[in-house]
Amino acid sequence: MCLAVPGRVVAIGERDGIPMAEVDFGGGKDVCLQYLLDTRVGEYMIVHVGFAIQRLDEQSALETLATIARMGLLAEEFDGGPGPSARDARTEGVNR
Amino acid sequence: MKYLEEFSDPELAGRLLEQIHAVTTRPWSIMEVCGGQTHSLIRHGIDQLLPAGVEMIHGPGCPVCVTPLEIIDRALEIASRPGVIFCSFGDMLRVPGSGRDLFRVKSTGADVRVVYSPLDALAIARQNPDRQVVFFGIGFETTAPANAMTVYQARRCGVRNFSLLVSHVLVPPAIAAIMESPSCRVQAFLAAGHVCSAMGTGQYPDLARRYRVPIVVTGFEPLDLLEGIRRTVMQLESGRHELDNAYPRGPCRRPGTRRPSRCCGMSSR
Repeated sequence: MCLAVPGRVVAIGERDGIPMAEVDFGGGKDVCLQYLLDTRVGEYMIVHVGFAIQRLDEQSALETLATIARMGLLAEEFDGGPGPSARDARTEGVNR
Repeated sequence: MKYLEEFSDPELAGRLLEQIHAVTTRPWSIMEVCGGQTHSLIRHGIDQLLPAGVEMIHGPGCPVCVTPLEIIDRALEIASRPGVIFCSFGDMLRVPGSGRDLFRVKSTGADVRVVYSPLDALAIARQNPDRQVVFFGIGFETTAPANAMTVYQARRCGVRNFSLLVSHVLVPPAIAAIMESPSCRVQAFLAAGHVCSAMGTGQYPDLARRYRVPIVVTGFEPLDLLEGIRRTVMQLESGRHELDNAYPRGPCRRPGTRRPSRCCGMSSR
């Protein structure tokens, strides 16, 4: 129950007067939208125990990825690359 | 963008690890608060790839693990009553009480059902009007709005056979208790991104100041955790102890934002 997972809103409706959405996580699931009433189809939401708790900000996500991608580039350009321990960590990666 | 694959990119993870190794000059002990963060750290091997001196201390952020024994015993007693359908998140079924757990109670004939959402328990109550349906409402701040809305929906729909055994816990008092422990080694915290989505970050600056610990709001994917750790180590290395948000794509509730109770016209009684 700990997980809050991002999913894409594919349809919006209502059940017993409560706003609901069908959200695609790679399979569909009904999600309550009571806490995010201005949700639109196509948006990504963070869903926890059947409730949308926050909208994902795509602009922030893209900026974060771009910032990370730029990390180390200047050091490689001017200093000749990462040090030995960092080089080992990069090679090993997190691709488990 | 799917928000999962991009934030597991090995090349980008490698860059973040390089940065962490480059800025670390001495040992540091960092606690990640949330069980979901612990799961992701271990699953992706991040704890093994950090500089040797950077230790991740796994925090008490799993509500399953910190639910008091007395509450478990109460749940077992309720679940054992005839006429009760006891609904719970699946990971609670193996948590032992004084002598048994919900799984054993279920195996002896009690009607214990695993649900994904409190709304599922409410649906069971509507389908079984002659039974008392009890939902085991455990969780940190993130789960409380879901339980509250389910109660509101039950009242709104006139469901009279639905109730909750509630055991909610809060993160800031847990952080304070940890820092006041005589044996505390924690020097910084990765705060749980989704808890902050629900509650905001208003209580964290005071904690950071009082205990002189950086608190960095952090997500759950590999790049989120590495960026959170990077920012935390940067603060520790420079002697700062501030609140920082390393999870901007899951925006935290800001002070003054309408509370969920106002969103649905609830009033307290």
